[in-house]
Amino acid sequence: MSGVILGELPALPLHTAGKYVAGAYVVLFALVLIYVAIMAVRLSRIERELGELSELSERSHSETPELDRSASPPSQTVADQQNVRHPESTPA
Amino acid sequence: MYGKGLRALSISTVAVMAIALSLVFFYAPLDAEQGFLQKIFYVHVPLAIVALCGFVAGAIMAIAHLRTRDPRWDMRSYVAIHMSLIFGVGTLITGSIWAKGSWGHWWVWSEPTLVSFLIVFLLYATYQPLRFAIEDPERQARYASVFAITAGAFVPMNFIAVRLSTAYLHPRVLGSTSNLPGPMALTFAVSLLGIALLYTTLCRYELTAKHTRAQLRDLRRRLSGETVDTQTRRPRSAAPTLHPTAMHPTATMTARAVGRPGA
Repeated sequence: MSGVILGELPALPLHTAGKYVAGAYVVLFALVLIYVAIMAVRLSRIERELGELSELSERSHSETPELDRSASPPSQTVADQQNVRHPESTPA
Repeated sequence: MYGKGLRALSISTVAVMAIALSLVFFYAPLDAEQGFLQKIFYVHVPLAIVALCGFVAGAIMAIAHLRTRDPRWDMRSYVAIHMSLIFGVGTLITGSIWAKGSWGHWWVWSEPTLVSFLIVFLLYATYQPLRFAIEDPERQARYASVFAITAGAFVPMNFIAVRLSTAYLHPRVLGSTSNLPGPMALTFAVSLLGIALLYTTLCRYELTAKHTRAQLRDLRRRLSGETVDTQTRRPRSAAPTLHPTAMHPTATMTARAVGRPGA
């Protein structure tokens, strides 16, 4: 099947000018490829930074309730603490 | 913000590029004089046209930056010029390859089109060092915009000057001397569209990456509880940095309304 398709394709005259044409198109693809590689490096850096930030966010979330508990009276419940921290979340 | 529609744009770019390559190698007839070597025309000329249009677009965006003082326009202008420089490198290399195959020399100094493009390229090659030389971000953006406008005006002037010159070694593509047959003209048009789409897609990728980096920096600042303005502490860079207030249009407008310095 592939042989039939290849047989139908026009023969490209790659004798003398072929190397120049191939070189020009390779330059274009190389430029795009280099750019994609640079973007991949940037993306991995962004991913790493995002991981660090989510870790930082989790750490600050886990530290905050302990601080609040130590500051609030012993009779106060967790729900009360949440209401204190987020007054806008309480029903009107 | 910049990532919206990027997927569709990327897919259409790949599709148009694939169609263009198919047309170049399987549809467009061989040139009577240059034969197979003329196929370089379909990559070299669109690269040059898109690069020059990108320089002019950078100048228009710089005008918008000076008019509005919105740092997002400075970022767009920077990315447009940055991408045009990359396309300019592609133009010079493919042009040299074509010259070697056609004229037997990698570079012909007596050809005005080649030399004028090199002058424009070298002019814009000073854009990044100029930005890097100025530490204050606002001053950097302002000076870079002035440079982009001046150099952007130089591009069409240069183009006209070359057209008026007498040495016509380099083939004319656009204008009254253009005599491309139908299949060649169609192939050229699709190639031009493909390269233009590639330019737009890469610009959008660059803007999205820069915007995401700015958002991450802002998020890090807020999570670590920093109150110091990041603009004053950032390392020296040629690339513009989006201030957190510049990431949302309303925030910028508010900053301008209250008369924030430089806003």
